[in-house]
Parts: sequence; C-alpha cells; structure tokens
Amino acid sequence: MPSDVAVLRERLAALVGGDNLTADGAAYAVDGMVPALVVRPGTQHEVSEVVAACAEARAALVPWGGGTAMAMGNPPRRLDVVVSLERLDRVVEFDPDNLCITVEAGMPLGRLQALVAERQERLPLDPPDADRVTMGGLVAANQSGPCRLLHGTARDWVLGLRVVLPDGTRIHCGGRVIKNVSGYDMNKLFIQSFGTLGIITEVTVKLLPMPVCRATVLGAFTGFTEAAVVLAEVQASFLLPEALELLDPAAADLLQPVLGLDSRGTFALVAGFSGSQSTVDRQVRDLEAMVASLGGHAKTFREAESDEAWTAITNVQGGAAPDPRRVVCQLAVPIARTADMLALARTRAAAQGLAATVTAHAGSGLVYAALLPGDDLTEAGALAGLAAVTEALREEAVGVGGSLVLLQAPPRFKARVEAWGKPGSSFATMRRIKTEFDPQDLCSPGRFLGGM
Amino acid sequence: MSNKVLVQELRRVVGEANVIDSDVHLQLYQYDAYLEERRPDAVVFVHSTEEVSRVLKLCHAHGVPSVPRGGGTNLSGGTIPFKGGVVLEMIRMNRLLEVDKGSLRARVQPGMFNLELGQALAPLGYQYLPDPASQKAATLGGNVAENSGGPHCFKYGVTTNHVVGLTVVLSDGEVVELGGMAPDTPGYDLTGVFVGSEGTFGVCTEVVVRIVRQAEGVKTMLAIYDSIEKGSETVSAIVAAGMVPATLEMMDQLVIHAVEKSLACGLPLDCATVLIIEVDGLKDDLEEQTEAIVRLCMEHGAREVRVAKDEAERALLWAGRRGAFGAVARITPSYLVCDGTVPRTTLPLVLKKVAEVGEKYDLKIPNVFHAGDGNLHPLILFDWRDAEQKARVMKAGMEILELCVQLGGTISGEHGVGLEKMDAMHLILSAEDIQAQLKVKRAFDPADLANPGKIFPAAQEVSHAQ
Repeated sequence: MPSDVAVLRERLAALVGGDNLTADGAAYAVDGMVPALVVRPGTQHEVSEVVAACAEARAALVPWGGGTAMAMGNPPRRLDVVVSLERLDRVVEFDPDNLCITVEAGMPLGRLQALVAERQERLPLDPPDADRVTMGGLVAANQSGPCRLLHGTARDWVLGLRVVLPDGTRIHCGGRVIKNVSGYDMNKLFIQSFGTLGIITEVTVKLLPMPVCRATVLGAFTGFTEAAVVLAEVQASFLLPEALELLDPAAADLLQPVLGLDSRGTFALVAGFSGSQSTVDRQVRDLEAMVASLGGHAKTFREAESDEAWTAITNVQGGAAPDPRRVVCQLAVPIARTADMLALARTRAAAQGLAATVTAHAGSGLVYAALLPGDDLTEAGALAGLAAVTEALREEAVGVGGSLVLLQAPPRFKARVEAWGKPGSSFATMRRIKTEFDPQDLCSPGRFLGGM
Repeated sequence: MSNKVLVQELRRVVGEANVIDSDVHLQLYQYDAYLEERRPDAVVFVHSTEEVSRVLKLCHAHGVPSVPRGGGTNLSGGTIPFKGGVVLEMIRMNRLLEVDKGSLRARVQPGMFNLELGQALAPLGYQYLPDPASQKAATLGGNVAENSGGPHCFKYGVTTNHVVGLTVVLSDGEVVELGGMAPDTPGYDLTGVFVGSEGTFGVCTEVVVRIVRQAEGVKTMLAIYDSIEKGSETVSAIVAAGMVPATLEMMDQLVIHAVEKSLACGLPLDCATVLIIEVDGLKDDLEEQTEAIVRLCMEHGAREVRVAKDEAERALLWAGRRGAFGAVARITPSYLVCDGTVPRTTLPLVLKKVAEVGEKYDLKIPNVFHAGDGNLHPLILFDWRDAEQKARVMKAGMEILELCVQLGGTISGEHGVGLEKMDAMHLILSAEDIQAQLKVKRAFDPADLANPGKIFPAAQEVSHAQ
C-alpha cells in the first residue's frame, strides 16, 4: 500500500468505530497472506465509505463473508484490507406472498432458510456449510450443491443485487420481479465475480414453496458400472430428482454412520425427490426397482431422515477431517461424461499413491476430488504427486470442453498449479471489464482467472 | 453509408447476391414490430461464424455500425438500424448442429426459429423450454438478444436460464466462445451478461441450450370470470397454496373478442376475463393438482372452469393465447404493447389503474399477459395516421410504466428497452447504475458499432445531435 497504514487505519476507525477495526488479521489470512487491517462496516453505506477510503489510499482489499470460499482462487497479488460483511446480516424485506426476500450480504444462508421456512418457503440452493456461507459469498463465489440438478444455481434465483464498486460508488442491479430485461442483466456479471468487481452488499432472491413431501433413495452397488448404468437410466427416464449424487467407496465410507451402508467398498448413487406424496412415492418405487434390477441394494429415507442424509452428503464433498495438505478440485464436464470422470479421478489418484475421496453432482457434470498424499512421502514428493494428478485431470476435463478449478489447496501447491486453469478466447473481454470497473486493480487483485 | 467501397468489399466476402443495397429491398429492413422505422444502408446475408467475422472486420475498418436481424419480431425497436449501416440477415444460419441427449444440450445456429427447435426435439422426446408467443417467427438468436420469455416462465424461467454457451463475434470481428457444454466455466459469466444485451455487445452465431425431457403429462384449464379482479386474485391464491403451475395466463374481454373474431377458439364472449392454467410433470398427481386448482378458482369467484379433455382442446386454447397479438392487430390499425412487470400480488390494483389510464386518455386498452410472472401486456389501440392520438398513446404508455415502477416492478419484462423505453430507464436506474452498465458495453464494444443508439438515454441524445 503506497500510503501509510496508520493513516488509513485512523480514517477507517472514524468511519466504522474503533471496535470494528483490527490490525490483527491472522484469522483472515488469504493463502497465508495476512491483511494489515480487518474492517467490519455496519451498513451498506459504511461499506461504500470504507471502499472509497481504501481506493483513495490505493489499498488492496478482499471482501469476506463466511470465509467458506476463501481457499479458492489464486493467492492475492496484494492484500492490505479485509472487509468483513459479518455485521451486514439483516433482513431488508421479506415478501412471502410474492416468494421473494431481500437480505444484506452477510446473512448466512442457513439463517435465511430458517426464516423463510416459517412461511413454508425455501431457497433451493444448498452449498456445503450452509450455516457459515453468507448470501454475498454464495453469489460472489457462485456456490451450489446437489439441488442444482433440478433448481439450477445462483444465476437462476438472484433477482437483484446492490453492489459497492471499487471506487465506492453504490449501484443496484435487477429488482424484485421475476422477469426483468430493463437494461443489461448486471446480476450475471457479479455472480461468480469472486470479489474482483466490488463488494456485494445486498441480495434479493426468489423463493419456492416448501414441498409437501421429501425422500431420498440410496442405491449401493459393489461395482462402478452398475451404479453408472442406473444413473443413465434415471437420466433417460421421466423421473425428476432434485439431486443425483454419485459417491465413490471412500466417500460412502465416510457417510456410513448416517447412511448405514451394509458393506464397505460400495459405490453409492443417491437421489433426492420432493413434491406431492404421490409423485415422490412413485419415483421412490421406480428407482428402487432400477437399483434392484442391477443387483444393487436400495435404502429409502423419508422426511427428517432424508434431510439429515442430504446435509451429510452435501458436506462430504471436501473429504474427511480438515487437513491443510489436502487438495480439493472441482471438475466440470458435459453431463454425459460425469461418471467416467469420477472413475478416472480415482484411477489417477490411486496410480500416484494418493488417498482420494471422489463425489459427483452426477446429473450436473461436476466431480469433486479430494486428494491427500500418503504419510510416507516427503513434502516435495507429495506436492509432485498431487500436481501430476491434478494437471492430468485438468487436461482430461479441458479435452472434453470443461475445466478443473481448485477449491482448496496449500499455498505451495497453488504456486505450481494455477487455480482456475488457462483462460479461453473471451479472456480479453473479461480483462477489459475488470479494467473498466477496477482500473487501480484494488479488489481481490490476482485472485481470479488468469491472475485477474 | 455513401461508402460504395465497403459494399464492394462486402460482396467479395459473401458473394454478389448476398448483399442488398437497392432502395426497394432496403425498405423491407427498416422496421420491426415496434413503431419506428430507419433504413439501413446495406443488408448482408451471412452463412457462417467466419463470414460474420469477416463482415464485421470490414465494418469495423470503415467505422460502420451493424445490427443483426432474426425474425424481426422485436417489439421495442431492437432490430431497427437506428444509425444506419449494415443489417446482418441471420436467417440462413438456421441449422440444428448437435443434440446431445446424454448431456441435455443442443447446439443451434441463431437463425433457427424457436418453434423449429421444438419440432426437431419433440420426436426425440425432448424440449427446449422458453416458448415466446411469437415462436413461429422469432429466432433463437433474437431470443438470446432479448432474453425472451413466454407463457411458461413462471415455472421454467426465461431464455437466460436455458442458454449455457454462445459463440459471439465482437464488433471488431474477433470470435469469442462464452460458456459451453460443461457447467460453471471459470471467469465472469459472460454468457449470462450477453443474453438480453439486445445486440449491443456483438453478434451471436451459435447457441448452446439446455434441453429437458418432455413432461410425462400435462393438464390445461380455462377458468372463466365475470370480474377481472377475481381472476387476478386467483393467480395469487394458487401461488399462496404452494402450487407452481407451468402457466398462469390471462386475457380480458376485448382480447377474447378479438381472438374469437379471427380464430374461433370457443372462448365465452360474455365474460370479463379468462385464465389459462397449465400444470405439467409426472402424471401421478396431475389429476390431484387439477382438482385443487379448479376448487381454488371456484372459491375465488370463477363462473366456470373447463379442463381440456384432449390434445386438440388444449391446442385450441393455446392457439387463442398465442394468436392474441395477431388477432388484436386485425381490429386496430396499430397498437403499442406495454411490457411492464409488477410483483404478482399487486395485479388487481395495477389492472384497475391501467383501465383508469385508458379512460383518462380516451384509449382502448385490452390486456393479455403472463399473470403468474406479474408481466403485463396492455395493448394500447390507435391509428398511426392520427398524430394527436399517437401522442396520447405514448403518454399513456409511459404512465403505465411509471405505475409498474411505483408498485415495485420494472419497465420491461421480456420485450427489451430498444428504442422504445430508453426514456423510461431513469425510472428504475440511477446515473451510477447506467454508468456501470456502460462500462460493460465499452468492454464488449469499445468502438460503439454494435447496434448503437439503443437502451441508454444518453445514447439517444448523441444520435439526435448527429
């Protein structure tokens, strides 16, 4: 930061109050880089003032919601100030009759869900760690979960945003009606913008009525092929599962306490259904029959049990207990390639002696591979093995028109393997957008695609 | 464009016969479904991404603007070459390039009609969900440019929810790929930003869309009301009961009369309004859902609810709805379609106010609209030869948009801003909001050659000064 930290600190303290500013940034390190200041504005207006002050001081900032996606992305090129949105956690307006809610960006998703559930409504977005992930973070990092199969992602549910641009200007995008083509669809620009175009301060989403009935069918198979065949059958059928997850034996083992699988070493295909009693019952019946016809073992969970199963499945994505050595990749491929990509990730990891937990949003083209080196390896050897597998998988995904993104990796690993992969033909346009919005390159500099 | 050199060069790229610059032909390209007209200097028929790129490189070198044109069904003037220049006729790029059932994607060229894609997918058991009422004549490229809606948005969303990848030629001729067959492409969601950009970011030459299995079953109902208020109250009641029908469409008496006059769909002429309600999905609970909806309609004052017995009856109801704009066009020399959107629960109020606007300006305003989405389409009838009447129509239209905004809505739900609503943008956007949108425009089209003079009020001032 060209100008003095002490000066900026005084300025920010005057804006938000001394209690909401700290120089102890250890808990807010991004890829090991510790910010000089952490500031917690209390209103959207304060966010705008804080960002303007940082811009004037040429201080590089990173917005921080629940911190759940901070392991993503490249290490920041610079980091002076972390702007925490934790105090912006209020409901601005809940309009249950129009299936719509507006909240400040720091509101955790879990809290929003509890609130709208009181009126028998829900937001069908279900990323891991719902109690920590904030609405602003969900939007900025485009977080999703198993339910995206039927319900899509943030881009399908966000109706409006308020954003503080890198110079402190406040703008709004969209509104609170479900159809809106009044000017450009600016919501889409900020969804998955990863903090590089400003700070999202308010989010309006549409909601769905709560389904009458919920059920989960678990199909356990000793062979991968059988699981993949049933997956394809479900996809070609009339069934409308809300979620369709494929779990490798390592992931299935981790879920054993919740799912109560009978034997180790099984692949699991898990489908979630919701709707009226008659449609849910019919789908459960149909899937149970498909599982049985391939020699699998089916088990069905209803209502509260079904919800518990999904919470566990959603959270297994990153593997077992936290481990700083772990590398978690998200592979995005055309839907028809999903199961094969899961199998490939297992094979490649095993060949390098890595412990892998691999799951997939099997109907959505997304595979999550959590990789850990064996304990017998040196650090250098472990890094080399992890990098080899990751690069090989990236090549496969890119080869079929997809991508590999690091969701979590130690900083040393990120120094070797690019977090997002190589940018495509539209990168020059993206760069021009970034430059238009953030000419001083102060918002999450370097964290995004191509070091943008 | 007095630039004969450019026309020569264009002919070398696409062939002699594919460039039109005679007056009589150019007249055909000076209008769309909105009320203004402006003649282009040349029309170029394009056949491939590469050709579009070469044409745009030439235009760029000569500093000449261009506008892509699909079916020309645009209702806000989006296809009118406001600053002259070249119109790119996209209609020959109309092939279905790929259907990947396993990945639930189709790759199409932009000149294909929306309905043609539906007809190509149906025998395979699949469908593309957005279905604007003009689907017979509206192209997919136009749907992308306008982020088109249609009668099934309430459950299934609009075009942007179903477009996952685009090939785009920027105004300098550069070809860029946005999104694609795989989900969550890293970087900014430029696909999402491009959809609805009304041709002002570049020309899309390929579209990757999401396709889905056709629904196992569908039930269509016609609820008949003696009061328009009761009809619109029912819409909210259905949603409040936790139901998500595929369709909640409304037509008032004036529209019903027009439809019956030209299409004879068997709609009752003595009612105030009808609702067309459709539920689809797994067949197991469709009866159940239908019964529940019929009950709700009756509880909320419906005179009668008819359930379509078979596909023929269903098709007849839809022919009436889809043909409504055309039917109204037969009873009036011209009309202005308003496209304001409001929160659903304010529908009874906004309809009353629209009627008041009609009285105030002494204009007939039939209504046919997407009630479930809160997306109004008051059609203000007039005679374009009467300048005084036209002035009243424009005032009434603006007043209706202001109403929508006051009730928490917006100025366009699915028809776009184009030339029509540039002056209404300030109703919903601050100067800062508009500046932010212009940043994106500059990033895509720094030379301002892609459909210039649209959407933003400032752009209009610039063009008037010329």
